[in-house]
Amino acid sequence: MIKFHPSEQHLVLYAAGELSPAMLMMVGTHVDMCPKCQAHVQDIEQHMAAKLFGESETANIVHGFDEQAMLQAIFDSQQPAVNNTAAANDSLFLEGHRFALPPTLARNSHRIGEWSRLPGKLWRAPVRVGGEEMLNFIYMDKHASLPEHTHKGNEVTIVVNGVFNDENNEYRDGDFMLLDEQHKHSPATQDHDCLTIAALEGPLYFTTGLSRLLNPFSSLFFK
Amino acid sequence: MSSAQPDNPEHAAELLAKIAAEQSRAAFSELFRYFAPRLQAYATRQFGNEQTAMDLVQETMTNVWHKAHLFKPDRGSAATWIFTIARNIRFDLLRKNKHRQNDLSADDLWPVLAETNDSLDDDYALDNDLLMQQLAVYCEQLPKAQRTVIELIYIEGKSQQEVADALEIPLGTVKSRTRLALQKLKELIQHDD
Ligand SMILES: [Zn+2]
Repeated sequence: MIKFHPSEQHLVLYAAGELSPAMLMMVGTHVDMCPKCQAHVQDIEQHMAAKLFGESETANIVHGFDEQAMLQAIFDSQQPAVNNTAAANDSLFLEGHRFALPPTLARNSHRIGEWSRLPGKLWRAPVRVGGEEMLNFIYMDKHASLPEHTHKGNEVTIVVNGVFNDENNEYRDGDFMLLDEQHKHSPATQDHDCLTIAALEGPLYFTTGLSRLLNPFSSLFFK
Repeated sequence: MSSAQPDNPEHAAELLAKIAAEQSRAAFSELFRYFAPRLQAYATRQFGNEQTAMDLVQETMTNVWHKAHLFKPDRGSAATWIFTIARNIRFDLLRKNKHRQNDLSADDLWPVLAETNDSLDDDYALDNDLLMQQLAVYCEQLPKAQRTVIELIYIEGKSQQEVADALEIPLGTVKSRTRLALQKLKELIQHDD
């Protein structure tokens, strides 16, 4: 069972599309793997829809556009092109292992770059999603350990498959862990290997956008 | 003339079903007159640019017109579905001017309008008419190995990978058992009708 989840704020910003590309991929991946957060995101979308199409918005309607003309344009329009996204590749092969990719990563498997080997039984591959923040797969073989590292801002890691430990906890499939700058930890694997994906969290956008429909962020909004 | 309005979720879902089944312009016009002005009001304030706001409304509603068959009533309300389309269009509109290579598109993140869903989602998704309650009854008739997998996925909400780990069997086996079981369940239900 998944023990570590993104914050509600992450889920709201994910549902609004207002996180950095790397963080959208991260939260999307966790949501794929976590039925609880999946239900929560559906809830958030429903709340946003209710606000957007609800009573308070009615007051803002100025009949400043020609509805009839737009209707006619829509009836005259061609069927939009079918989204021919590259065939999703739901498996990743590495070091003789096959890993199943959650749908968000499978849909974006064409963005995965070359694997490179790092010292200490570690492998890394970048995922190119645009934006300033790095998104990387990190694969830890059995009995591997990640050197202690520092970073600016928050670092987010998700276990895609496997298990690893640090001083405090054990992390398994789907676990979403957020470490701030102060956090010192040394992740390591024992008898299992572990495929993770990691990103540095970029600045959040609060000032505009759909997520504002639900400000202030508070778990009182969602049950 | 019914008194129901598109703000009634059941009525809105019926309108979408009519659009999907018979390209009913009357049904679409009714939905449009409710949703389009609200979307336009919101988008105008958001973008501070009337043309972009109009593009958002027109693109969103054009997709509602052509893609109504993709609306799944068991996954949420019509309003929520229209919201997610608008969210996707907005996401792409905001990135359109940047022309950066590698940028994510909304479809990469939220496959709201994907015709065929190749992803793992498909293995999880049950047909609309396969109701949970029926499922429990029919599950009794499945071979034990298939039943276990179905119960873990659909009742306990485990992922296929979690099921594979729990039962210590390969993921491919979980997938094939799921597929076989769903096929069998469909047959059982159709046979019963
Ligand atoms: Zn979760």
